[in-house]
Amino acid sequence: MARHCETFDHTADVGLDARGDSLGELLEALAEGLCDVVCPRRGVRGADACTVTATAEDVEALAVDFLSEVLWAVQTDHFAVASVRVIAASETSVQAELTGEAYDPDRHEILTEVKAVTYHELRVAREGGGWTGRVILDL
Amino acid sequence: MARTFEGKIEQIDESRWRIPRITQPGMRVDGVIYASSALIADVITGGGPAQVANVATLPGIVVASMAMPDIHWGYGFPIGGVAATDIAEGGVVSPGGVGYDINCGVRLLRTDLSAPDVRTHVKGLVDQLFRDIPVGVGVGGPFRFAGSDMRRLLGEGARFLVARGMADETDLAATESGGCLAGADPDAVSPRAMERGADQCGTLGAGNHFIEVQHVDEVYDETAAEALGLQAGQVTVMIHTGSRGLGHQVCSDHIKSLRSAPGKYGISLPDRQLVCAPVDSCEGRRYLGAMRAAANFAWANRQLLAGQVRKSLRRFFGGRGRKVKLAQIYDVAHNIAKIEMHEVGGRRRELCVHRKGATRAFGPGHPELPEHLRPLGQPVLIPGDMGTASYVLLGTARAMAATFGSTCHGAGRVMSRKQAIQKARGRSIDKELASVGVIARARGRTGLAEEQPDAYKDVDAVVDCVAAAGISKKVARLKPMGVIKG
Repeated sequence: MARHCETFDHTADVGLDARGDSLGELLEALAEGLCDVVCPRRGVRGADACTVTATAEDVEALAVDFLSEVLWAVQTDHFAVASVRVIAASETSVQAELTGEAYDPDRHEILTEVKAVTYHELRVAREGGGWTGRVILDL
Repeated sequence: MARTFEGKIEQIDESRWRIPRITQPGMRVDGVIYASSALIADVITGGGPAQVANVATLPGIVVASMAMPDIHWGYGFPIGGVAATDIAEGGVVSPGGVGYDINCGVRLLRTDLSAPDVRTHVKGLVDQLFRDIPVGVGVGGPFRFAGSDMRRLLGEGARFLVARGMADETDLAATESGGCLAGADPDAVSPRAMERGADQCGTLGAGNHFIEVQHVDEVYDETAAEALGLQAGQVTVMIHTGSRGLGHQVCSDHIKSLRSAPGKYGISLPDRQLVCAPVDSCEGRRYLGAMRAAANFAWANRQLLAGQVRKSLRRFFGGRGRKVKLAQIYDVAHNIAKIEMHEVGGRRRELCVHRKGATRAFGPGHPELPEHLRPLGQPVLIPGDMGTASYVLLGTARAMAATFGSTCHGAGRVMSRKQAIQKARGRSIDKELASVGVIARARGRTGLAEEQPDAYKDVDAVVDCVAAAGISKKVARLKPMGVIKG
């Protein structure tokens, strides 16, 4: 089971359903899924990199905090992300590297604004030897 | 993805439905949903009722966990939700009961133009607004507020702009809470939130936010319309936006800091998004202080946008030898929590009233209304979707007695954004709108598709329901002529 992320419908918003062989892979899949909702990764060059970290009291809160950091990088620091690589992950902390480049309106497309990563029906769990996660984004 | 409610739901009368408190363990009060028989089917399949039941478990909640007829599935609270908690009884405040777009709301300006004056110029006028007004994702505006200016803006709201010549007392009098909630605490707003909002005051944003040129299509109450300066055929401009990235960040920050509060205060929650703390606790006070600051930012935002609308219209019609006068009818919040006094069980109580996708609708004589509106009741502004209509309503005594002075806030979505985009494939939404007389401009590729009229409930049915229930009175219907969106 490789890492994978797809979006699902929620009346006013959009959700991410993801899985990975490890927690790190799951978080990578969720983060890349989030980036694709805001500014699709296709065509983004991996010229630059930045590090994001998060710590939290449990693995679900960790997912929200981590994705919120990624959202900050994309939406507020205007860093278009090409890929996400988790360097180290436990159930209460994560460190990851975002590869990408400064947002360029001529080459990158902003699809939508994500207001926040929510806790509504949030689920991050071990399942069948891997990890699965579900997060709803407020658009 | 929304799921059908399988719990018990029983009809109370023609416009109300009850979810009895025995439906779900932990419910402290009943759920009450305002909906007509025609609207209830969409409500039941829309996922909102389960959230109404969840909200009924919040400590200190009084009377009922309520929802307006524009109810749809949100996160934590339903959109269209109204919940009041008794502060003296350990009542809580929940950021999920306000939402991420704190003080998202609506401002309505009236002009001295008539529909025929504008009809032949709509395209040019919409292009002018689209050029002049910052719209779209991450688009900054001409104003930048930082340091002590940002702190003052968060503390004073639209009032901060008076000394700068960008607001006057008549605008403030025609704004809910005078455009400034007392008790705002800029220290509870993180540097990140201030950074996110620094260049966003005076910008429209994206999503369902818009500025719309409209005309008064129908007047239901001549006396009230005249008192508000409205008449059939008159052109109005509606602004729908909120506190932008600053408000989103305030909500995210405080939900995070409240994560440990339910454990600390022994509160058991059915959904983590309902995280909360007693109003009378350091966590509750801190959130309310930050939320008020974000609400003030939103009022300043709509004030600056109204200023830009005025300039745009004057520039456009000035170039055609026509002077245009604009005056503010009112400005309402529809995502907010406020401390208000209401009569419950025969005595006045201090409540924390959450309105999540619901509008305050104070009735005639309420002391919080400015003198010119007190005999009428508070104007309630209901933005519709681009293809149909918006409404001006008034608050009523019945709303004071039944819903803590609250009513609906819009049409309410029935179609997800993804479904709407799929349904728009192969179609040209802007051409469809033009064929019904509405000129639309949007920055984003999917904005018009996501917000197409079919994505929403029938706003006429929603408004007729609150009018039939007596919690609002219809004054006028406004039809769109042109709209700009993110």
